[in-house]
Amino acid sequence: MFTLVIGGSASGKSVWAEEFVSKQPGKRIYLATMQPYGEEGFTRVKKHREQRSGKGFDTLERYTDLAHAPVPAGSSVLLEDLGNLAANELFSSEGGGTEAVLEGIEFLLRRCDNLTVVANELFSGGRAYADDTLRYLRELARIHRILAGKADLVVELVCGQPNLLKGVD
Amino acid sequence: MIFITGPLFSGKKEYIRNALGLSEEAFFNRAVWDVQDLADAADLEALADALAQKEIVIATEIGGGVVPVDPVERSHREAAGRLACLLAERADTVVRVCCGLPQLLKGEWPC
Repeated sequence: MFTLVIGGSASGKSVWAEEFVSKQPGKRIYLATMQPYGEEGFTRVKKHREQRSGKGFDTLERYTDLAHAPVPAGSSVLLEDLGNLAANELFSSEGGGTEAVLEGIEFLLRRCDNLTVVANELFSGGRAYADDTLRYLRELARIHRILAGKADLVVELVCGQPNLLKGVD
Repeated sequence: MIFITGPLFSGKKEYIRNALGLSEEAFFNRAVWDVQDLADAADLEALADALAQKEIVIATEIGGGVVPVDPVERSHREAAGRLACLLAERADTVVRVCCGLPQLLKGEWPC
C-alpha cells in the first residue's frame, strides 16, 4: 500500500504517519532524509527520534539516491520527508534532480510492502520567491501530483485531523 | 459558475480541463485563472460579479504563510482572500485541488 501524507509545518502529519505505519506489518523502517545542519537540525532530529521511540522503527538515514537505499524487502517504510529529499536531490552536489526522487520512490514501491511518504504543503503562501526557490516549488509540486496519482491513499493533515483526499481509510 | 481553488502548482487548470473534456481553445474561452492577481481592494464585489460571468474561475490560495511586512503586499493578500470568498459565494460549484486531487467544497461535481 502506498500512502501520501501532506500537511503544513506542525500540522501533526509526522505523528499521524508514525501511528499509521506503526500498525503496518513486517519490519518497520524510518527513512530519514533530513541532513541535520547545526544545533536546530540536531534538536529536530532528537524530537522526531523521541516521538518514534517505542513504535518499533529502525532508522535509516539517506539523503539522496534512494534507489540504492539498503531497505529490507517486504518492509513497511515511512519516508520523512519529501521536501528535504527533493531539496537534497535538486541542490546538493551529489543530487540527481527530480528524476532521482521519482526513481527512488519507484524503487521503494517495488522493494517494500508498504510505503508512506510525508510531504510538505508549501504552496499557499504566494509566489514571491527567488528563482531557485520557485524552481524548487515547481519541481516539488510536480512530484506531489505524480505521487498522489500513484498513491492508494492521500491524506492531508489539518490541525492534526486527517482530511482524506483519495482512497478509503 | 465553477470556482476552482487550491495551492500553487496543484494542477487546478489540468483538473478542470480533464473533468469537462475541454480543448485548450475552449478552456481559454470559458475560463479565467490567476484571479488572485486581479484582487484590488477598491471594489471587490463588482470584480467578483464580473468574474462570475465566466463559466470557470480559478484562483490560487495565497493566504498561507507569514503575513507580509510590506503594506501593499499585505492588503493585496487580504483582498485576494476576500475575493476568493466572494467568488465561492457566487459559485454553484466549488472544488479545491490539492496535489492534483479534487475535493468538492460546494455544489455538485463538474462533469
